[in-house]
Amino acid sequence: MSMLIRLAARSAWNRRFTLGLILLAIALSTTLLLGIERIRHDVRESFSQSVSGTDLVVGARTSSVQLMLYAIFHIGGATNNIGWDSAQKLAHNPAVAWTIPLSLGDSHRGFPVLATNGDYFTHFHYGDKQPLRFTAGQPFHNVFQTVLGADVAHQLHYKIGDKITLSHGSGDAHLTEHADKPFVISGILANTGTPVDRTVHIGLDAMEAIHLDWEGGAPIKGLMIPSEMVKKFDLTPKTVTAVLVGLKNRASVFALQRDIADDKDDPQMAVLPGVALDELWQVVGIGEKVLLAVSGMVVVVGLAGLVSSILASLGERRRELAILRSVGAHPIDIFFLLALEGFVVMLVGVLLGIVLLNVVILLLGPFLTSEFGITLHPALPTKEELLLLLWTVIGGLMASLLPGLRAYRLSLSDGLTPKV
Amino acid sequence: MSEAVINVENVSFSWPGQSAPTLQMDAFKVERQDQVFIAGPSGSGKSTLLALIGGIVVPQRGTIAILGTELHSISASARDQFRVDHIGFIFQQFNLIPYLSILDNVLLPCQFSRYRRQRALAQGTTLRSAAESLLRSLDLAPALWSRPVTQLSIGQQQRVAAARALIGQPEIIVADEPTSALDADRQQRFLDLMQRECEQACSTLLFVSHDQRLASRFSHRLALNELNHAAHLEDQV
Amino acid sequence: MKIFLWVGAIVITGLFAGIVGHSIFDNRNATAALKASVAAQDGKYNTGDRLQQAPLVVSNPPEPTVAQSPFKEIQWEELAPASWDPMKPFKGIDLNKLNDADPRADAALQKAKEYWKNAPINPAMNGKSIKIPGFVVSLDGEGERLKEFLLVPYFGGCIHVPPPPANQIIHVNSVKAIKGVRTMDAVWISGVLNVKPTSTQMGDAGYSMVAQTVEMYKDSDGKQ
Repeated sequence: MSMLIRLAARSAWNRRFTLGLILLAIALSTTLLLGIERIRHDVRESFSQSVSGTDLVVGARTSSVQLMLYAIFHIGGATNNIGWDSAQKLAHNPAVAWTIPLSLGDSHRGFPVLATNGDYFTHFHYGDKQPLRFTAGQPFHNVFQTVLGADVAHQLHYKIGDKITLSHGSGDAHLTEHADKPFVISGILANTGTPVDRTVHIGLDAMEAIHLDWEGGAPIKGLMIPSEMVKKFDLTPKTVTAVLVGLKNRASVFALQRDIADDKDDPQMAVLPGVALDELWQVVGIGEKVLLAVSGMVVVVGLAGLVSSILASLGERRRELAILRSVGAHPIDIFFLLALEGFVVMLVGVLLGIVLLNVVILLLGPFLTSEFGITLHPALPTKEELLLLLWTVIGGLMASLLPGLRAYRLSLSDGLTPKV
Repeated sequence: MSEAVINVENVSFSWPGQSAPTLQMDAFKVERQDQVFIAGPSGSGKSTLLALIGGIVVPQRGTIAILGTELHSISASARDQFRVDHIGFIFQQFNLIPYLSILDNVLLPCQFSRYRRQRALAQGTTLRSAAESLLRSLDLAPALWSRPVTQLSIGQQQRVAAARALIGQPEIIVADEPTSALDADRQQRFLDLMQRECEQACSTLLFVSHDQRLASRFSHRLALNELNHAAHLEDQV
Repeated sequence: MKIFLWVGAIVITGLFAGIVGHSIFDNRNATAALKASVAAQDGKYNTGDRLQQAPLVVSNPPEPTVAQSPFKEIQWEELAPASWDPMKPFKGIDLNKLNDADPRADAALQKAKEYWKNAPINPAMNGKSIKIPGFVVSLDGEGERLKEFLLVPYFGGCIHVPPPPANQIIHVNSVKAIKGVRTMDAVWISGVLNVKPTSTQMGDAGYSMVAQTVEMYKDSDGKQ
């Protein structure tokens, strides 16, 4: 039997160029299949980890998913803000344990700027009820101080005491800058694996301060209020983008949600983060299934390529098979020879695909984390991935039977004298 | 006292799907160490005869006994094993497996047959040396042995094929038109080597060819057309 | 043929072992979740639907609060004192037809909200080992797995129909983080019910439970 394995190996090596290309095709299709599943899984984990212990996210009336994306993930834009009075009313609501008001709108070299207050560092939790921790420094206590997320500090090589300037609007381009009001870095947060890492945090008063001499998104010509003077003005914000709410009794969330929705003074909505995420997954789930189906078909195409390549080579190999029969090979051995070749190429292709996947994740992971706040990490296959692999291998097994069977039939009918 | 190494009696065979038999022979006997020339033009049932002798197929009627063993009495896989144990084959062309080395080609039967493996080891201390001495006696210089198969001339390839058929000294050598692709003087040379080796190994040689000029070298000559009653009129062009 | 089958068998066995290992490791309680979830539930429930339960189980006298006691299936009604009628504000109005935009219903709704905010709890339920089915409202989890949620008696409770009264909500912490459960999935929970006594603060009273098991709800023959 080992002779046949050696024969199959030598035969495959002899056609290594063609088989190598097919191997690559199978490897890439496996990487695609597993990659989609891995991304799907890791993105969900990542999103689900981003906030914990928050009962409601309150903001202007928009879709619940959009509010979540903006308030928690800093993706997309807010259509409207809610008034500071509404935020205060919430904070003083007897059912509420704590609130964290948030405002977004500025950026620093592509990273979003989040304006909030000290409650953020006390009450914001992520993952499995993890609080925020500082690797250096402390929360801001003066107006022009800022706290950086781990990735911001790491990528831009900032340390405590450095000065940075914020830009108006979001995105990479150096739009109109608040050059006259630099911020000093007072603290750097520990890595969380959530969008917090790529956020620049300032106080709500600071947000007001830098826009004092601005109007409608641009500085007022001729008016310049130097940073030392800002404290003379009232730096209470007029509006906030969203408020995170924690309740004393989590079961009372529905009642409060209703109250907020029914508020006649300020149009608001309150969203349960868990429920909003579940809605998001329902919508996204359809697309995910489609993607998975498509990549499954790509694998099938790769396998079909393998099968047709081996079948095609069969024509030239009929004399070779007759020789093997003349030296004592059974027709089953012939079947085995051809099927083994296909099966091994498929197996190696799949393994290569797994390796490729992890290499790609290793290389691209940091980029994805910094751009989208999604953490992918090289890991052993999850159960869903193993299931996909199982189906791929079974499919490959079935597929490699085909050339084997064909060779078997040919060998039976050719005998020692094939009709070449 | 020589016994029949090949004994074909009252055989009738038709391929599956064919109504009329392709081969019908009353009696065909080959005795030990005979060297038989069989004239077999196309249509005379040559491939069928080889398939029957090789045990690829069994006749619907009659018996074929090789070295005393009746082929229809053993299973198909036993016939495959029997074939490699006792018969060496040489074909007309493309005799060698392109992705194996020359030595591996020669030693192929020893990988499938323990019987021939043991007999080859009796010739040389290792299988490799047994193969090498056989190649040498077939006029293949050592310098050629490490060449890939595709770089050999037709004549050289046929001689390697002969070595493969001869290794382990099987009792019967069946040669199916081995010289058709060679030019005249190489044909003679090839036959010289073949016949000498068969004598030395005490093997029986069955030489099938349509080339009558070679027939003179053989003591026994047969025409398949006459042996085979079923050779069809339509093929006599 | 033999080695071919051997190689194939080894690879497939290896993959199976990996999958089964994952299953056992992850989902001791909720393996049913994977199979039952999508098939049984998508689109099956309408707003206001409640889950079918066994014919009313008479509750026994309170058992000792030890996890070994078997879980008695109860109905949602038992969570309210016998004298309290949750439907009192809606006498004469069909709940299913109630829409917040309907101005006629608005007044009734306001009344109901007050009534429900102050819905009393049933202190007799404290410490009881119970089993009850309901719909999930996700709160927190470990990544994709759910650990903390609210259980409500009817479908769509947080979206269209007025939210349930305080004595018809259970705040659940699952012992094990469970996979494959989303908001508005129907589940059975089993555990010891914990009751926080009424206080003057709004919404402090309520039921909570550390759920020993959370299983998908499977109907035998379609929904009720």
